[in-house]
Amino acid sequence: MMMEKLKVYADRMSQPSRAVLIFCRLNGIGFVEIKVDISKGHHLSSEFTEVNPLQKVPAIVHGSFNLSESHAILVYLNSAFPGIADHWYPSDIFRRAKINSVMDWHHSNLRNGAVSYVINTVLGPATGRTLNPKTAAEAEKVLFSSLSNLEDIWLYGDGRFLLGGSQPSIADLSMVCELMQLEVLDEKDRSRILSPYKKVLQWIDDTRASTNPHFEEVHNILYRAKKKFEQQCSRIAETQTKPSDKIGGHSKM
Amino acid sequence: MKLKVYADRMSQPSRAILIFCKVNGIDFEEIKVELSKRQHLSPEFRAINPLGQVPAIVDGRFKLFESHAILIYLASAFPGVADHWYPADLSRRARIHSVLDWHHQNLRRGAAGFVLNTVLAPLLGLPLNQQAAAEAEKILISSLTKLENIWLKGNGKYLLGGLRPSIADLSLVCEIMQLELLNGKDRDRILGPHKKVLQWIESTRNATRPHFDEVHKILYMLKTKLSEQQSNQADSVMESRIRTPLTSKM
Repeated sequence: MMMEKLKVYADRMSQPSRAVLIFCRLNGIGFVEIKVDISKGHHLSSEFTEVNPLQKVPAIVHGSFNLSESHAILVYLNSAFPGIADHWYPSDIFRRAKINSVMDWHHSNLRNGAVSYVINTVLGPATGRTLNPKTAAEAEKVLFSSLSNLEDIWLYGDGRFLLGGSQPSIADLSMVCELMQLEVLDEKDRSRILSPYKKVLQWIDDTRASTNPHFEEVHNILYRAKKKFEQQCSRIAETQTKPSDKIGGHSKM
Repeated sequence: MKLKVYADRMSQPSRAILIFCKVNGIDFEEIKVELSKRQHLSPEFRAINPLGQVPAIVDGRFKLFESHAILIYLASAFPGVADHWYPADLSRRARIHSVLDWHHQNLRRGAAGFVLNTVLAPLLGLPLNQQAAAEAEKILISSLTKLENIWLKGNGKYLLGGLRPSIADLSLVCEIMQLELLNGKDRDRILGPHKKVLQWIESTRNATRPHFDEVHKILYMLKTKLSEQQSNQADSVMESRIRTPLTSKM
């Protein structure tokens, strides 16, 4: 049976989009990447709403089947395409259950913390939102607690990957892509947040190394955005020294 | 060894696991972890779940937490769980994963945030946060609208056009059930416009009776307690309003 090629609707600025793209490339899945530029509001178009009524990327169309939510997509791709190595989503019921567990944890912890922190410290203005220092402070707490849990609980044992794994799973890919968005923070802030977590840093490197060159290639857009934000920040710093003092006062409230 | 379920019936994902086990005749032992007594932070429970959250299970030597992962594990590990709970069919299973993933950042966030910041916080020694309540309400209403128009589309009684309930129906309906704790006016204002959602709650409750009602009893009890408190408060506010003008004249 011939099936139409898999379509992946993605914006590379979105971390779950990147995870799905890297996974497909890495596993030799033939697919068409269809750009949905969020900054241009393309995710709200009627064409895309037909693909995903929730208007979120990533989404896939496989034949007549459409699916949204990146974790569900990663799990589906593992089962729908032959030849994907077992370590990505092990068939062993116990190992699979643990991977489901860490991916569920991801939503309300690491994702929540990382996304909200980045939006409220750097990304907000680019997406038409104002920066909210109080929300940023709350997000920072969630982010720190998530990183501690990664370091002390999820990265246990001698394995290089989550749950003591010696090879990466879809959970490693999804969560490392989540953390990569911290790249757009200014270097001092990023290092303040990540540097206490040695295992996490090592794990990011290991996941990157085991998924290159696709990992770097798909993340290129982020490195370019980082440069742009750095230039913006230095301009803002020059013109707005005083208002930023006020923001510091707010965050203590 | 019997399956152990560590749960607090005050927690909605705990209730989903307990109902699932009972409906499917899974033999298990319920171990109470009382959040209000901070038992989830005890070293004994941390040895079961280092994250200190309920529900958690121990099956032989295997420990697991996060309610969706537990439901999937139970549906796969215990023979005799009917296929409709977690279909073997690839695309139906994928859609169930999709709605379960959506649940976290949408319905759960909205419902838990709203109930915490309008009713529950004082019971847990936390302040009520009006701004957080307003933000949670927005997420909650948008989530209910998406349930009504997207996830409950089609002629089936359940999510994704299903004719019989899946673990996603159980998990999400248990989430919504916490809105029982709101005062009647708030609850009607929020749920009332969503007719399909209301019908779906009833269908899921009916399909999982009597266990559904039995496990939710604790919630109905608390609801009664809260509405008594509210009417007491209302009385004392009225009294002080009557008294104030008198004292100010003195």
